[in-house]
Amino acid sequence: MSELTYAKIDNTVLGTLERPSKSYWGLIALLALGIFVGAACWAYQIAVGIGAGGQNNPVAWGTYLINFVFWVGIAHSGTLISAILHLFRAGWRNPIARAAETMTVFAVCIAGLFPFIHLGRVWLVFYMLPYPNQRNLWPNFQSPLIFDMVAISTYLLVSSLFWYTGMLPDLATVRDRACGLRKKIFTIISLGWTGQHEQWRHYTRAYLFFAALATPLVISVHSVVSWDFALGVVPGWHSTIFAPYFVAGAIHSGLAMVITLMIPMRKIFSYQAFITKDVLENVAKTIIFTGLIVGYAYAAEYFIAWYSHNIVEQESFRWRAVGEYSMEFWIMVICNSLIPLLFFFKRIRRSIPWLFGISILVNIGMWYERFVIIIGSVAHDFIPHAWGLYAPSAIELGILLGSFSLFFFLYLLFAKHLPTVSMTELKETFRKGEQHAH
Amino acid sequence: MPTKKYILGSFRDENQAASAVEALRKSPWNLDRVHSPIPSHTIAKALKEKESRVGYFTLAGGIIGFFTGFVLAIYTAVQWNLIVSGKPVVAWLPFLIVGFEFTILFAVLGNVIGLITQARLPEFESLKIYDPRFSGEYFGIVASCGEGEQQELMDFLMNMGGEVKACEG
Repeated sequence: MSELTYAKIDNTVLGTLERPSKSYWGLIALLALGIFVGAACWAYQIAVGIGAGGQNNPVAWGTYLINFVFWVGIAHSGTLISAILHLFRAGWRNPIARAAETMTVFAVCIAGLFPFIHLGRVWLVFYMLPYPNQRNLWPNFQSPLIFDMVAISTYLLVSSLFWYTGMLPDLATVRDRACGLRKKIFTIISLGWTGQHEQWRHYTRAYLFFAALATPLVISVHSVVSWDFALGVVPGWHSTIFAPYFVAGAIHSGLAMVITLMIPMRKIFSYQAFITKDVLENVAKTIIFTGLIVGYAYAAEYFIAWYSHNIVEQESFRWRAVGEYSMEFWIMVICNSLIPLLFFFKRIRRSIPWLFGISILVNIGMWYERFVIIIGSVAHDFIPHAWGLYAPSAIELGILLGSFSLFFFLYLLFAKHLPTVSMTELKETFRKGEQHAH
Repeated sequence: MPTKKYILGSFRDENQAASAVEALRKSPWNLDRVHSPIPSHTIAKALKEKESRVGYFTLAGGIIGFFTGFVLAIYTAVQWNLIVSGKPVVAWLPFLIVGFEFTILFAVLGNVIGLITQARLPEFESLKIYDPRFSGEYFGIVASCGEGEQQELMDFLMNMGGEVKACEG
């Protein structure tokens, strides 16, 4: 980063906020169409009932819950990168922290939509809120679903505030280079930030506390999500390793999504000087680590099933590997545990096409992991005559398409309207490098 | 009442800005504000800044949140006293999760309140005497003096290595 200057950092990042091209709006329109398809499918489901989805006995939780867990998982690496790596003073996270935090905020929003979609009678969503209704009935705070509601709402609020607070100095930089209406808007949203030392004094402290609080929160959120399953006595769900297994899986998928987003972004916005191959290589190394944990968790589940002498558990896991959903199972194992091992080779983890390809495969693998856990377990539980299969309906696939479209739609809007790289943190990294050089 | 005159000094170099701050603190003129594009420890040291008190707000929020979570869970459970799955009505372990999430939530809210009250945000008054380059690559010092001392203060900041500009308050 030695060739960087403060001015170059500002010019490169602010240059990305210039008037978008026609192809950008074309892409936005295409994604808007995807969102429309998803919204239309949801509207249809509301009109005809939840039966429009493929969920039925014994599989009552279908793709809506898969998508929920998938998007919450994606949301995790944003906080890992911005909070945990901040506490560890890992300077390489600075160029990608903003993009990852943004990914977190949007992914939590989309995850939060799925319980609404899954409700069927969505207008009764307020039943989940902690308030006394006319019979003085409250939600049951012993239920993992209510833990989840509390945890996800907290995570959404905390990650949004963390994201916004982290962006304040950069919003002021945009304001100082803008004119007209844009200047007015950025003056308001930057809260009049001027980088006074009195402001920095409190800001740096508050940011540190944000990171310190977000760290246990992010671990708790996916642990709570895992307890939606682990607290049920279903074979394949009722496991004590679920919390760390889910947290590692969440970070695994989130890091893969970071690479998937960063590679096109660094190319389109010419961020090669900031988001260097070293940064991507560090993400890839972390993916090896999370992939190994996930692989260990898969193996530990089989070991425990064998060691327990519990025939239901044993049958459930035998069926996963050779039953009707064996293809999904092997996609999961290969994409999540085996393919990331290719990152052990330096040549591969420094190759942009390999990084991009593997990141997409990990994302696919992680989606299938949720399929295997959520669908596979209830489809083949205790009583053979109650076994059954599930396949998502076209309505569910339409909603899945809508969710991905919404995510990339929001991300593209962000990329052209707000600074995608934290200029302040990048300047700090650059300054430290400069000091070391002297 | 004598009019206060403001002088804006802009420094490209962080260390020069820090030296100017130190020198200005010993001078008869007022050091009103110091701006920087990044949190600078060198300047913070020159300003002899005290530790921020934001942490007290965060701590207070956390404590309030912890009890709020527990009290909400207990209060709602005892409204009907229903025993579900043989679990106690007031079940400490599950309520710990609610208490924990509320602790984080309220601590973060306390943190935000601490930040906006201590850093006095939003605040648009300072933008009147400000240079947009302060959010880019320059470190800025806003100093004030009485009428007649203006030139002297400008020379002082210029000698410290800054570009100077006089502003009306």
